Amino acid sequence: MSFLNLSLGELLGLVGAISAGIVALYLLDRSKRNQVVATLRFWVSADVRTQLKHRRRIQQPWSLLLQLISLFLLVAAIAGPRLGLIDNSGRDHVLILDTSAWMGSRDRQGTLLDEAKGAARAYVLSLPARDRVMLLRADALATPATPFESQRQLVEQAIQQSQPGASALNLQQAFEYAERAQKLQSRRAGEIVFAGAGRVPEEQVSLGVLPPNLRVLPVGATPQENVGIRKVGLRRLPSDPATWDIFVEVRNYGSRPHDVDLALQFAKSPAGEKLLHLKPGAEEQAAFAYKATSAGYLEARLNVKDAFPQDDRVLLELPPQASLHVAVFSGEPQLLRPLVAANPQVQATFDSPDHYGAAVKADIVVLDRFVPAAMPNTNAILIEPPAKTSPIPVAATQSNVKLERWRTGSELGAGLRTQDVVLESAEVFTPASHDIVVAEAGAGPIIVGRENKGTKTVVIGFHPGRASMKYQLATPLLMANILRWMAPESFRRWEVQAGTVGTVRVSVDKNTDPASVRVVDANQRPLPFTIAEDTLQFFSGAPGNVSVLMGDRETVYSLTLPDVAEAVWKPPASVRRGVPRASLDAATQTDLWPWLAVLGGLGLLADWLLYGRSRVFRVKASQMVSPLSSRIAARVGWRRQERKAS
Amino acid sequence: MAAPLIDTPTLEKLERLTIHWQKSLPGLVGGHNTSRFAGAGQEFLDHRHFHHGDDLRAVNWRAYLRLEKLFLKMFQLEPRIPVRIMLDISKSMTSGANSKFDYARKLAAALCYVGLVRLDAICLQPFSSKLHDAFTASGGRHRFQPAVNFLSALQPTGKTDFLNCARQFISEYPQRGLLLVISDFLNSNDAEGDCERPLQYLADFGHELMLVQIWADEDRQPPWEGELELEDAETGERVELAFDADARERYTAGFDEFCDHLERVALRNSGRYAGLSTSLAVEQAVFSSLVNSGVLQ
Repeated sequence: MSFLNLSLGELLGLVGAISAGIVALYLLDRSKRNQVVATLRFWVSADVRTQLKHRRRIQQPWSLLLQLISLFLLVAAIAGPRLGLIDNSGRDHVLILDTSAWMGSRDRQGTLLDEAKGAARAYVLSLPARDRVMLLRADALATPATPFESQRQLVEQAIQQSQPGASALNLQQAFEYAERAQKLQSRRAGEIVFAGAGRVPEEQVSLGVLPPNLRVLPVGATPQENVGIRKVGLRRLPSDPATWDIFVEVRNYGSRPHDVDLALQFAKSPAGEKLLHLKPGAEEQAAFAYKATSAGYLEARLNVKDAFPQDDRVLLELPPQASLHVAVFSGEPQLLRPLVAANPQVQATFDSPDHYGAAVKADIVVLDRFVPAAMPNTNAILIEPPAKTSPIPVAATQSNVKLERWRTGSELGAGLRTQDVVLESAEVFTPASHDIVVAEAGAGPIIVGRENKGTKTVVIGFHPGRASMKYQLATPLLMANILRWMAPESFRRWEVQAGTVGTVRVSVDKNTDPASVRVVDANQRPLPFTIAEDTLQFFSGAPGNVSVLMGDRETVYSLTLPDVAEAVWKPPASVRRGVPRASLDAATQTDLWPWLAVLGGLGLLADWLLYGRSRVFRVKASQMVSPLSSRIAARVGWRRQERKAS
Repeated sequence: MAAPLIDTPTLEKLERLTIHWQKSLPGLVGGHNTSRFAGAGQEFLDHRHFHHGDDLRAVNWRAYLRLEKLFLKMFQLEPRIPVRIMLDISKSMTSGANSKFDYARKLAAALCYVGLVRLDAICLQPFSSKLHDAFTASGGRHRFQPAVNFLSALQPTGKTDFLNCARQFISEYPQRGLLLVISDFLNSNDAEGDCERPLQYLADFGHELMLVQIWADEDRQPPWEGELELEDAETGERVELAFDADARERYTAGFDEFCDHLERVALRNSGRYAGLSTSLAVEQAVFSSLVNSGVLQ
């Protein structure tokens, strides 16, 4: 029994004071009153009760006792006693609000998040005022929206401001966070309440140990059908850079099979269409090839009506096809054409040395066996330049020069390898200290690269399209290395992956140096990542583009698809469910004040009927009660005051 | 000079009234009520035989000439008889919110003034356990002020002893007359203190009784309830009792029965009775109750 309004001491003090007052008033009311009269003859003849007793003696102990008991009951009713455990300290509850992407799905009455908000508000309102609530928004990350807050208005405001995220629910993490918050920050741990649909990844369907104080406010009880795009991948075909190889993955999250129409549009023009037959819980993949060299937006759309339309459409921005313009000035262009034009990304123009001009517009200029008076302002490849005008001094020109060694340590010489190659004629250069030596003969470097003020120059001391090097495999590779070194962005492998926000895993080459990898967002801000077991992993909690750059490879992740988890977490039967009807205290305590008030009122009414001024009731009641009271008085030992009639 | 017990306008009204008695009482001529006793009156009453010693002036000589017998003419007498007012000054007259003692003094003063105006001989006789010093006034209204002074000087004292007072009264006032007893007639509840027997003595002696009972409202309907400790104003006796509405009804019934008993005593002895509550104004009591009872006309 607890008294919410008064402590036990205060209640007893109040009852004692009131009882003393009642007894005093009783004695004053029931005590004899002095009065001088002219004669006593009529008083005596009036047959009134005459009692020659002490003045301060209680004349009607039953009446006094009844009044005291009734007043005690009324005061106790005012004190608001409750039968149950005393709980004077508030408790701290953690309210986990599911803000995963799936909470944005709609049913007939709105989104699931609206339903969860209503349940969360109802729960908050059901709590006692002294309890505090922490609102935890849970999607892939558990984010506290409020600390343990006793002001319901702030908590309700935070609930109202909650919006569905783009990631899937990580329920295990949310529970761990809630338990940790209650352990570290709360005064007295209350409940951990989860309000949401509980759509989680497969691995979280069966959670381990659940919090013992868990309560679930179920949302979205009726299953909803949804078909959505899980992933979209694009890359240019290596054999045909103008063609996009498009890969779309679609999943049926519902419980019924669906036939959906997957359509692609590029620059608002149809780019492909497929009809997919999706079984419940199954994933289907569709591949498309689309030739486009210009930039534009590619849209993948599922023509289906389901509960979650956010994952029915993906829009990707595609870059234009990058090309490298190489201007070749040679008297024998047929020697260089196979080397330069073999790369489909290279647009080569051939011209005679006479037509050379310093203002030539090209990314790379190839000068075959001549050096112009005015060197081009762009990257240049010089083949057997004249010794006198060579930008890198020629030490000597020798015949039957054996190519001794390739410097594979540099980007220019990476992967080059020959055996017993003897050049009929070759120039030996005298490189500067910062020059890159690619190949060496016995007398010195015969291929040297130089980078000066943003322009790159490679000088080759022999003609790669002639004599013994003409049939060497290293010759096109050398040319490719030179072109990639001079214009690396033109040869970068570029891929687009449209996926869901959250954790992204990317396969990388073995022994990839993390220093050579960059992961940046759309604003070129680096994102933290890890590389373990040939897998790069990073996390993006918000929709957007993330670029992963590894050498000549750049993969753009367009993380715009909402992450819809595959499974639904079902709490065990032992977990409490629903919003409690009343406050938690009220659930364990019973109000006694109505009963006490009724009993007190009945006691006072009985006292009035038995001992009050009303003669009619008093006579009847006393006739009924007097035998009983006499027996009780006899048992208790009180001597009943006899009525004395004169 | 004591403060006037009755104001002048009331006194002027009182001059219209006359104290009236019913009995034929002997007395000297000069009164205003006829008597069955013959005497020196103006109105012829009867004839009777002449006896030796009768006044010859009253012999009907005409009848003697015809009948040769002496007949004496008798005339109706309007005697002057004494009007005595016995005023209860016991302590029981002091109980109640409105003092019965003051009320009784005012009433006595009013009756005294009425009598003085009509040239009656008024005797004011206070009593309680005995007869106290009396005051006699006669001869006109100019003797009223001494009567007022006498009444104002009275103090309540003692307890009522009707029997003793009756004995003293009979021995002290042998001439019969009109006796107005102004009292609450409340005394101790023992048998000796009952007022019936003394009143009967007085009536049997020949006095015409006019009983004016004065009570306070508390005397007839006590307003108190609950446990009471009552003290007799005269004897100081105490009694503790519980009083309620039911007991009040029985009390009032007993009081009314006592008043009826007093009235029966008065009527039985050819007297009159008037019961007055102190809540009734003295002037209204005089002009309504006393006039209706016939003691004043």
